[in-house]
Amino acid sequence: MKWKVTLALSLACAALVFVLYKGFGQDPHEVPFMLRGQPAPTFTLKTLGTGEVVSLAELRGTPVVLNFWATWCAPCRMEHPTLDWAFRQYGNQVKFLGAVFEDTEENARAYIARAGSPYPQLIDPRSQMAVDYGVAGVPETYFIDAEGIIRDKVAFPMDRATFAARIRVLLGPRASAELGK
Amino acid sequence: MSSNLGYSAVLGALACAIFGAVVGIGSGIARRESGLPWVRRAAVGFFGFMLLANLIMVYALLSHDFSVQYVAHVGSRATPTVYTVVSLWSALEGSILFWGIILGSYVLAFALSQKDEHNRYMSLALGTMLGVGVFFAFLIAGPANPFGKVSPVPPDGPGPNPLLQNHILMVVHPPMLYLGYVGMTIPFGIAVAALLRGELGEAWTTTLRRWTLIPWMFLSIGIILGSWWAYAVLGWGGYWAWDPVENASFLPWLTATAFIHSTMVHERKKVLKLWTLSLVLGTFLLTILGTFMTRSGVFNSVHSFTQSDIGPTFLVFIGMLLVFSITLLATRGQLLIPEGAIRSPLSRETAILVNNLLFVGITFTVLLGTLFPLVTEAIRGVRVSVGEPYFNKMALPAAVAVLFLMGVGPVLPWGTGSPRVVRQQLIVPTSIGLGVIGLCLAFGLRGFLPILTFGLAGFVTTITLRELLLPAKVRILEHKEAPWTALVRSASKSRRRFGGYVVHLGVVFIFVAVAASSSFGTHTSGTVGLGKSIQIGKYNLKFVGFQNGAEPHRRWKAATLEMTTEGSSPQLMAPRMNFFERSTDPIGTPVVRSTPTGDLYVSLLAFSEEERTATFNLWIFPMVGWIWWSIPILVLGALIAIWPGRRAKVALPSAVSGVDSPDLVKVNRGAA
Repeated sequence: MKWKVTLALSLACAALVFVLYKGFGQDPHEVPFMLRGQPAPTFTLKTLGTGEVVSLAELRGTPVVLNFWATWCAPCRMEHPTLDWAFRQYGNQVKFLGAVFEDTEENARAYIARAGSPYPQLIDPRSQMAVDYGVAGVPETYFIDAEGIIRDKVAFPMDRATFAARIRVLLGPRASAELGK
Repeated sequence: MSSNLGYSAVLGALACAIFGAVVGIGSGIARRESGLPWVRRAAVGFFGFMLLANLIMVYALLSHDFSVQYVAHVGSRATPTVYTVVSLWSALEGSILFWGIILGSYVLAFALSQKDEHNRYMSLALGTMLGVGVFFAFLIAGPANPFGKVSPVPPDGPGPNPLLQNHILMVVHPPMLYLGYVGMTIPFGIAVAALLRGELGEAWTTTLRRWTLIPWMFLSIGIILGSWWAYAVLGWGGYWAWDPVENASFLPWLTATAFIHSTMVHERKKVLKLWTLSLVLGTFLLTILGTFMTRSGVFNSVHSFTQSDIGPTFLVFIGMLLVFSITLLATRGQLLIPEGAIRSPLSRETAILVNNLLFVGITFTVLLGTLFPLVTEAIRGVRVSVGEPYFNKMALPAAVAVLFLMGVGPVLPWGTGSPRVVRQQLIVPTSIGLGVIGLCLAFGLRGFLPILTFGLAGFVTTITLRELLLPAKVRILEHKEAPWTALVRSASKSRRRFGGYVVHLGVVFIFVAVAASSSFGTHTSGTVGLGKSIQIGKYNLKFVGFQNGAEPHRRWKAATLEMTTEGSSPQLMAPRMNFFERSTDPIGTPVVRSTPTGDLYVSLLAFSEEERTATFNLWIFPMVGWIWWSIPILVLGALIAIWPGRRAKVALPSAVSGVDSPDLVKVNRGAA
């Protein structure tokens, strides 16, 4: 082969290997999450059923778990029992909020009437809050600490272990010691 | 117990591979043939140990021995037996182990098929193949060890990936792809041996071609079955999405196809030697790159296995292969001196050259599109995804040009063609092609690319059928043979040419099916209440109720539709959603009503039992089934081309001395 061809081939191959090398350590399935460590976008929304108004600003001082869901989303329905369990387990230390995503109020009300929900469900008209949080799909759950900072996000239906692990991190070492009793 | 035995077998395979590679390449470079028997023994040993390791794993899977790491990872007592065996290749470690046995079988088959021939190349070739074996045995023994021990032993496992348990095609598709991928190791070894020797004899070229055609055939089957699986299981109504892993299988197919064509020029005109060998090396590299894409966890795809530790090892191997290949081509390439030249632009060799450039062009385009997200991430830190439009825009025009060449190439003679004769030969096919276009327009079909594809398909089919049948016609007229006898005899006289044209016919099928189904399909979706209907094309579908079912490994819910067309009795269609144990996302089973003219495709998107509604996605795809029905044609053609001629066998021993008998030349050249 001519040396110029050889050189060009070598460079192209070196570039290929470099690019593949740089690909390591990136999770291609990861949904981009820019808000980690940022203050949670505030909202003031009405709850489903009672019409009571919930404002994130007033919850300062309490950690918040915010779960986006929809009635048309099968994985959300599967996650529902986990959230019920989590509320029974941690509901005294954490404020649980649900947010109905891209769904009608009637559908959501009918579902909650049937499946039950121990914590408030928020109606998010025109998905304003979902856009603020950058929700890519449902279910998506945000873990917001007592200072109103987003600590974590889970973009898949959680099982109990996953949930427990995240909430321990959210509550910090003191709380997990208490829970361990 | 199984763990220890299996791991020992893997170590045995590794030892055999190292021994065979060192002795083979060492004695080959020293030009001694004394090492060859030992290399052959090493190949047998490699195969034997790999077989043993695989059998032990299958036994562990079947006996639910959850103390073995891989079984604990993919096994489950609820999984049906057939899928338990299949789970050998359902996850990373097992699939690499399975890779090992296929590699072992290929190397053994190659060693046995070339028993007394080509001894001067064989040490180098087998040594190189076993060198590849070293890498895979090392992977199995180290980073991807499936035989690790689990303690405490879990009572049950999660079962294989539900996507792999959902359709019988999953039993066939991966082995076919592996047979295609792994098989490219053989032509790689043959080409490396030729480069290291600095010569490429005609008989060795025949071996190279035949051993490329075998994996090429499997790769073709694997790719088509994969698209069929995507169509029948995933329920999004498509069969090809330019997914990184689909591309990974398509890339080596492209270069291998280019090789199959360029080798004809090489054999007849003694030119393009280095180019032809580069295509072989490139094909092998692309199979390894493709495996890396599937298994490193760097790409996002339906196929990708979870993040794993083998990525870096693979990358080192790719780097070594690249350095090795370039060095080989740079230092040994000049030994392969072209003995002729391409003289006329109006010749078969020019057509094949253009074909090669197109194939390599498509390869680069697809490779660039596949790697682009990684490139932008490496440079700018942002992952930009490249979607279907890029691939379609870039690859489809080139594919149509390939279709055109499939018609023009066979008309052009080797050497220098006379424009008058060529023009005469093209009159009938061209008018048929134009006739097809006219018919399409008359029937109200619109769209530039699809109509052009149909016209070219008519053009190519005419030429291909003429090339297939003309020798038989001559025999009927001259020898007064019966038509069938004449066809079989003319085919067996020039198997490779005949087989090649049969494959071309299959490829025309695919072209037509892809163009028709992607351009003239209809789609609708909607939520339907119980007793209500939804209409698509000539079909009326009435939602009549839900069905439930349970199997040991899954539960399912089906929404039954009563499908009626004008003047026919109603038929039931029941698209399903399957809920696998220990898996959160449901997996659909669409229902496809397939006819030669088109498919009605129904998938269940969502349902609400309380409100008695179900949401469906419906498509009509014209002629889409032709894509998969082309498989028998492709296989038939490939087998005809691969099948060794009787006369070639007699002639081969003389090839050992490097002088090919005239008989063999005749067999190779056929009647073209």
